[in-house]
Amino acid sequence: MSLQNLRGRIAWIFEEEDFDVDQIVGVKNIKIKDPDELARLALAHEEPDFAQKVKPGDLLVGNHNFGYGHPHYPPMIGMRKLGIGGVIAESFAPGYWRGEIANGFPQVACPGIMGAVNRWDEVEVDWTTATLRNLTQGTDLPIEPLSDGDRLMLEAGGIVGYLHAREEEEAST
Amino acid sequence: MGLTIAEKILARASGQATVRAGQEVLAKPDFVIAYDFPGYTDVIFKQMEEEFGIDKVAEPERYALFIDHMVPAATTQEEELHEITRAWGKKNGVPVYERKGIGHQVAAELGYATPGAFVVHFDGHISQLGTFGTLAIGVRRHLLEAFVKERIKIKVPETTRIDITGTLRPGVTARDVFHHIVRVLGPRSCRGNVMELGGDGIAALSLEGRQTINCLAMFTGAITAIMNPDEKALTYIRERQRLDIDPFFSDEDATYAARHSIDVTDLEPIAVIPPSPANTRDLSEVAGTEVQVGYLGSCASGRVEDLALAADVLEGHKVKDGFQLHVIPTSQEIMEKAAEQGILTRLINAGAFISSSSCDYCFGRMGVMREGQRAVSTGTLNVRGRMGSPDSEIYIVNAAAVAASAIEGKITDPRPYLERVKV
Repeated sequence: MSLQNLRGRIAWIFEEEDFDVDQIVGVKNIKIKDPDELARLALAHEEPDFAQKVKPGDLLVGNHNFGYGHPHYPPMIGMRKLGIGGVIAESFAPGYWRGEIANGFPQVACPGIMGAVNRWDEVEVDWTTATLRNLTQGTDLPIEPLSDGDRLMLEAGGIVGYLHAREEEEAST
Repeated sequence: MGLTIAEKILARASGQATVRAGQEVLAKPDFVIAYDFPGYTDVIFKQMEEEFGIDKVAEPERYALFIDHMVPAATTQEEELHEITRAWGKKNGVPVYERKGIGHQVAAELGYATPGAFVVHFDGHISQLGTFGTLAIGVRRHLLEAFVKERIKIKVPETTRIDITGTLRPGVTARDVFHHIVRVLGPRSCRGNVMELGGDGIAALSLEGRQTINCLAMFTGAITAIMNPDEKALTYIRERQRLDIDPFFSDEDATYAARHSIDVTDLEPIAVIPPSPANTRDLSEVAGTEVQVGYLGSCASGRVEDLALAADVLEGHKVKDGFQLHVIPTSQEIMEKAAEQGILTRLINAGAFISSSSCDYCFGRMGVMREGQRAVSTGTLNVRGRMGSPDSEIYIVNAAAVAASAIEGKITDPRPYLERVKV
């Protein structure tokens, strides 16, 4: 199995360093479980028609230490429901990273990303060559390679698929 | 080259002579801990059965569940969630600790903080077991792996070593030391690493103070924190530890990702400004800001010395009319000690509102603020909306400053109150 490249437009750029993802839907909404409701809430306080503008495969961009604080899952449940294909950031808070990789949601560490994209640029994340291509601007940036464990987790679509894969592996050895 | 305590603990847990930072290993957690919360434990129990066909965990003594959020229940749904947890515990022979206090503290009291042990939880504040030389990591959704498999895949983390030197002045606490670390080194200084703390400044702290610092490790980007257990730590835990493991210690020539030394001699009380735990300033910069709510509690603070310090500040004073001072001891054991020592009586006489131990004041389930209100808090986090309305604000300060601010109704440096007590 190999990981599919990500390709889409940059739907949002989170300028703030150490960004707490709960702000995407607001802490008061953090107990909501319904993906449709979360999708409606995502960034709606910043841009009321955000949900209408997003197309499947679009990507988010974050600054340094994206996911700092107490990251909860509902904000990205909403984003995935909108079709967001992954998050590219300068760097990630480890708890956020671990949680979203376990949800099978691609996260891409790409130092220099903040100065390299504008909103709505079309980009491609090529896992094989560890490159981020800005197709709009015609520029490339290296991305940090995934660890083996994280790659397996994303390939399996998250923790449940990953553990099934481990069971199969153990059964065959 | 020598090894860090974290490397030694993961070598033992993965059954190898030596492991080094960067290596991916299959490690067997000595203890797997969780508190019940919708979307976490209920999902794990369901996925265990439905996805993996596992009715019961193989070694129930390795598991512990806590009911510390939503206690007491306010809705039938909450009580139903707790009932799922109790039933699962009963079926599996896994203890469910309920109404004993905040699990991260109670886990130490009950000896899950065995020196040299490897512990996992979904919640990162379990890092505070590092006070006793336990490597305790919040692995989030990966916790499912520890319910389904004996061993979990983990990359041996690098370690950032921080030596604290100097002695704190009265009115300055371990809480300030942690926020000062964030101020000096930055909120991503230990990103992905273990934060190992030592030095004479740590040796001088009580175990409670060390628990405070280790609890908050995640706000430096660390995946956990640990201290090489000294006699103070070993004496406390010896009677309680659940496993017979020889404690581990970092070698003198261990390899660290970075080493820092921070002197705290001149440290003043700190205020962490909303809306981020990264916004650390001297309290004096925001002194005088009006506040209506005070929260003394949480898994970070709210232990006996915090309660005693608050009582000292409040001695001979009253909480200002209309000010809400909520005091929630971190565990029932702590509450009992504070009662025996007369601390609770002093707090009550001063006008504090005291509740039994629970996580609920920290995450906006209880003691909720409306728009425009502002709190001083010893909770873990000051993000917008954490304690109610997104248009309320949380200033994180130490326990003494919560008490002093409760007297004046504005953010207040506690030191003048403590000087008066000493005389």
